[in-house]
Amino acid sequence: MLVPPVNFALVVGQLYRSGHPINLNYQFLETLNLKTVIYVGENCPETISAEYKVWLEKQGINYIHFPSPSVSEPFTETDVGTVTEVLKLIIDERNYPILMHSNKGKHRVGVIVAVVRKCLQQWCLTPLYEEYIRYAKGKADSDFLFIEHYEFEDRDVVVEHFPRWVMR
Amino acid sequence: MSAKYVPPANFAPVEQHLYRSAAPRPINFPFLKLLDIKTIIWLNVEDPSDELLDFIDAHDINLEHLGLLTKKVKPWDPISDKVVQEALTILMNIQIYPVLICCSMGRHRTGAVIGCLRKLQGWSFASLVDEYQRFTGIAGERSNVELLVENFSLVPLKQLLKIKANSNEPVPQWFDLHSDLE
Repeated sequence: MLVPPVNFALVVGQLYRSGHPINLNYQFLETLNLKTVIYVGENCPETISAEYKVWLEKQGINYIHFPSPSVSEPFTETDVGTVTEVLKLIIDERNYPILMHSNKGKHRVGVIVAVVRKCLQQWCLTPLYEEYIRYAKGKADSDFLFIEHYEFEDRDVVVEHFPRWVMR
Repeated sequence: MSAKYVPPANFAPVEQHLYRSAAPRPINFPFLKLLDIKTIIWLNVEDPSDELLDFIDAHDINLEHLGLLTKKVKPWDPISDKVVQEALTILMNIQIYPVLICCSMGRHRTGAVIGCLRKLQGWSFASLVDEYQRFTGIAGERSNVELLVENFSLVPLKQLLKIKANSNEPVPQWFDLHSDLE
């Protein structure tokens, strides 16, 4: 039996989203032939479990961790620089297939997917908010404001390596 | 800055070149053009709107109207196993992609077909129910859809996949990830 991680879904092309994978999910994830895993979550890199680390290494996956606080805590904000770094990985087809996950696959990953829709696919805000809510199950906090105001700067991106679906 | 795109309500990619959504409206047509949709699998009993039929004609899209597959069906009758089976059989043909599967809201009929596809792919029931419920909106899920998926027999479709494998007829590679073709 295949068990995808919580809140797993295809975003576009070979970009996938989910919550944090656990043991149960490895067999499913192996069917995706992942090249890169991007984790936006907890601040300290030590929070990664030993078994997850072993699995990532065995699969030869390039694992990139962007420490990112939960913005549901008061006085924390989504870091613009972190979001831009993640988008730079997403805009390079050499990194694919990519799985991007946070802990529950709701807010932190939801923000990244929303700015992919807005900045790289030129979607209107209404449908991308709808998509965000589908995963966050109603709670958005200040994320919509961030999504509306965020702009992806073109600096340093290599156009030749854009995935086909990118609309700039 | 180019014009902004508006995907249909409840739009989402399911697998490579397979998409799901509510019934597309004219505001969604530029977005559909971008996806280069070749086939629309229509699960409603009612016909698509005239605007959508014009769009389908103008872009040479193949319309698979499955809503009328069962005789004497009422628009409010739930989707039948027969329709789900037909939809999944159509999806085995790699020639017809990219495909959009839709019903009026993109919730229950579409959810039943995608749920059964996930079952065929070997997904756990909890995972496929979770995916279905993500699209059901505030009115919530319908237990008849979940019951349909839970009780849906994979035997005929697995037999079909086996026949196709034996005659080297390709199916989308994500179709049958795990189910052992015993």
